[in-house]
Amino acid sequence: MTTIPREGMKASDPLRPEPATVLEVIRETANIKSFRLVFDDEALMASFTFLPGQVGQLSVPGAGEATFAIASPPSQQEYFQFSVMKTGVVTTAIHELRAGDRVAVRAPMGNIFPTDDWKGKDILVIGGGIGMAPLRSLFLHLEDHREDFGNLQLIYGARTPGDVCYLDDCHDWEAGSDIDFITSVDTEHPEWEGRVGLVPTVLEEEEPSPENSIAVTCGPPIMIKYVLESLEKMGFREKQIFTTLERRMKCGIGLCGRCNVGPMYVCVDGPVFSLEELRELPDEM
Amino acid sequence: MKFISSEKIPALLEQFSRKARVWAPLRPEDSADTLLFMPWAPAATLDLKRFTTISPKKLVLPESEALFSFSYSMGEDGERVEIGDAPAADEPGEGATLLFGARACDARSLTVLDALFGLEPGEAYNDPQYKARRARLTVVTLACTTCDAACFCSSWAEGTASTEGSDLILYPVEGGYLARGITGKGEDLLELDIWEESEQPLPELAVTDKVPIGNLDAKLLEIFSDMDFWERATDRCISCGYCTYTCPTCYCFNIFDEMRGQRDGERCRSWDACTFYLYTLETSGHNPRPGIAHRYRNRIGHKFSYYPRNQGKTLCTGCGRCIRGCPVGLDIRDVLRGAGER
Repeated sequence: MTTIPREGMKASDPLRPEPATVLEVIRETANIKSFRLVFDDEALMASFTFLPGQVGQLSVPGAGEATFAIASPPSQQEYFQFSVMKTGVVTTAIHELRAGDRVAVRAPMGNIFPTDDWKGKDILVIGGGIGMAPLRSLFLHLEDHREDFGNLQLIYGARTPGDVCYLDDCHDWEAGSDIDFITSVDTEHPEWEGRVGLVPTVLEEEEPSPENSIAVTCGPPIMIKYVLESLEKMGFREKQIFTTLERRMKCGIGLCGRCNVGPMYVCVDGPVFSLEELRELPDEM
Repeated sequence: MKFISSEKIPALLEQFSRKARVWAPLRPEDSADTLLFMPWAPAATLDLKRFTTISPKKLVLPESEALFSFSYSMGEDGERVEIGDAPAADEPGEGATLLFGARACDARSLTVLDALFGLEPGEAYNDPQYKARRARLTVVTLACTTCDAACFCSSWAEGTASTEGSDLILYPVEGGYLARGITGKGEDLLELDIWEESEQPLPELAVTDKVPIGNLDAKLLEIFSDMDFWERATDRCISCGYCTYTCPTCYCFNIFDEMRGQRDGERCRSWDACTFYLYTLETSGHNPRPGIAHRYRNRIGHKFSYYPRNQGKTLCTGCGRCIRGCPVGLDIRDVLRGAGER
């Protein structure tokens, strides 16, 4: 059983963030930027560990704090990364950050993709839009441990070519000989050379075998809904399918009371759930 | 047994106030109907007969508090942000605090909150602000020999006789109160020479309305999707949040930043209410609990199913405040009984 790193659980004051600095800002799309951060405390940065699936709370003091999936893999020890879509007050303040700016972070929080249990299996990762953020961490981690897994397949869909994040990674994945990578956009675009079609459609065209496989998906709720239907249609069982949930969160430590789905707190018991676990929860999505 | 006469209560509070800030049920000057736990002073109008309008939970979870301060400054390497300490605030909980005149339901609510907020670091997440206030708190409970139509603490095994969360209990008897120490802290209070001895027997305590809550934790999950039930149960509710703010065990909070000028600010938390639409509204516009029925269902589920499952205690002590003050007369007992019979 993997021990999940949760520094905040040991902390004397888990609501108090640690100062961090923006190392680099990457503009991914018109409304998504990635922020590579380092903790100011060198000892803390050196000992910082997390696993794919975990999240962090990023603060711009004065504007507020919000929860984001960690988008970098654990092997990247120079920095950790959040990818943020500009939508509200806090994310707008985050989007104004430049390299060298100071922020504050609480991380890691939440549970993990149980990759230890997936050894020897084929892994199918299906991402849509900004939902690719936790899956980037996961997929790069799977590649770091390539020998532990069978086939690695990544299907990544975006609305338009301009909405595709992680272009450098996409180039690497396209060039990678030991993984299977498919990008698609929803509708035809003149300069687009990848696939065209909604993610569930592309998935069904690919017809991956459920045998000895794990499927992981994250994206807009409507995409997840149809991806789950497609996976089940293709014979994937509930315990072979994983997703990661998003909820409005404040404390991130199971106290403030907003992110629960029935008795389960997404911030502590999640955000990663198997479809089997999800189906046991009350219907409050 | 130790005894104190009714007329000596102000003198007793005066002695208590030498070592702690005393909070007691007082009548605010501008209201004849309201009774609130407020800082006691000799001129205050004490009322030990009626029940307080709002619970004493703010002594451990204030309506609003600063978690820490922060400030921006220019350093050699550019702008810096320092995360400071929580500002010393002149709010309840600083220094020793004595809560006088809590009822058994109020005292027990503290142990219910302890099950989540009092956990130790390492075993789970903890709340140092709560724990510091809790450690400084002494609770002198007033036993209930009478109750009103909204009380339902007898739904739990010990009812009005519960000693959970109390350090000292005062029992109303002819001419005054008998005193019984429950904890070391309570016994210490009995060392004061203001107490007299009495042979009077302990009075008979009130027995309140009883709601069957035994099987609710499973039942509420069972009827989770029964929207017909939840819509009907909440058809009067206006989502005002009165029940959550007056409740001794509702603890949900919001976290936000407040700036003081351009450079300095504080991260604050304050009471929130799960009955509010904005509470779970996401930036995308999606709200997992969009309707009043969805939100009230969460409130009931949290109190009688999720918290008992996760923390081992019902998140309700039957104080009846949500029933007495609800502006539309929604009675939680009707909902609980209705759920049980579903």
